[in-house]
Amino acid sequence: MSGKRKQEVQRIKELESINLAREEVRDLVIATKKEVEKDNDLLAEQINNELKNYGIKSIDIVGAIGAGKTAILEKIGEKLSKKYRMLVICGDITTRVDADRIEQHNIDTVQINTGRECALNAYHIYQILKNLDLNNYNLIFIENVGNLICPSDFKLGTDKRLTVVSITEGEWVIEKHPMLFKMSDIAVINKIDLLERLGTDINKMIKDAKNINPDIKVITTSAKEGKNIDNLIEALEL
Amino acid sequence: MNKELKEIEKIISNVELNSQDQIQNLLNNFLKNHLKRSKIDDYIGDYPTFIEPVYLEDNVRIGDDVLLGPNVYVGNNVEINNYVEISNSIIFDNTKIGENIKLDNCIIGKNTSLYLKNINIENCVLIGNVITKKELYKIMFKFK
Repeated sequence: MSGKRKQEVQRIKELESINLAREEVRDLVIATKKEVEKDNDLLAEQINNELKNYGIKSIDIVGAIGAGKTAILEKIGEKLSKKYRMLVICGDITTRVDADRIEQHNIDTVQINTGRECALNAYHIYQILKNLDLNNYNLIFIENVGNLICPSDFKLGTDKRLTVVSITEGEWVIEKHPMLFKMSDIAVINKIDLLERLGTDINKMIKDAKNINPDIKVITTSAKEGKNIDNLIEALEL
Repeated sequence: MNKELKEIEKIISNVELNSQDQIQNLLNNFLKNHLKRSKIDDYIGDYPTFIEPVYLEDNVRIGDDVLLGPNVYVGNNVEINNYVEISNSIIFDNTKIGENIKLDNCIIGKNTSLYLKNINIENCVLIGNVITKKELYKIMFKFK
């Protein structure tokens, strides 16, 4: 394949739409997309085995920008940083704002700035873990890039996936984003301290999550007030 | 950091006089003990992916779909082309890295140009200008 064509395929792959591929490269684009997904899943499995060998519990957290992923992690960190040797891997398009917030709780962090990529993938995690002494940790959180769509394409090799939404996103947010809830173990509905003021139908949100994934555990929290964080920790089996 | 970089530069200017272990130890020491925080706020390019720590000096040009880190130092006036991936490495000033080159655990000396494409390079010192793989293997000093 010529360099130019390779570049073209790469561009189309980034756009994540097979429809954009010209007829003559369509097969190639589909094959490439399948390979990428397969490679990611294999690597995710390898990561999970490696973490288990070291006795490390692992959880990844996904959710939209501003849903409260970092705030929840801060509250979990406050309660668990003495019990566990924790590492938090923070994914963001740019900046290390979240990692700096978490580090204030005496927790080690690694920041990934994904630039134009809208989610972390297993290779990012593999590169980080390969260069760390895993004996130093027994609990790893991965905070994904703020996004409710792209992370559903990439498993990261963690034991559990936690999806965070907030009532400020409206009561349709779960119904509109079924993919992530299908592949999550726990759904957190955050910012319940604003419930009275906003009047969001939280029962609909809980019902939607259960309809999409009957096995999902739903926890309502207020990270700001520290409400139900203990329930969340219990659901995470930590 | 500058003191350590100067020492490494001196050592790699005459690699044969130093043991392979010595070079690996110097590289490890620099990356683990002197490169603790990132500096990625000023570069010319289109939002690459960074896994910290990555330290970029001035006037670094970065192509599309580049992944830098963890543990990467990039000197002044370095040009990194599309699809390049670099980890655990020091890239000294005025260097050019060709398209789709993957570097891990390497030291690339000042004014080096790797004009070739599509190759994985690891555990070595490279100083010089190369266009072909054959030329690359000639200047390659493996330290692991």
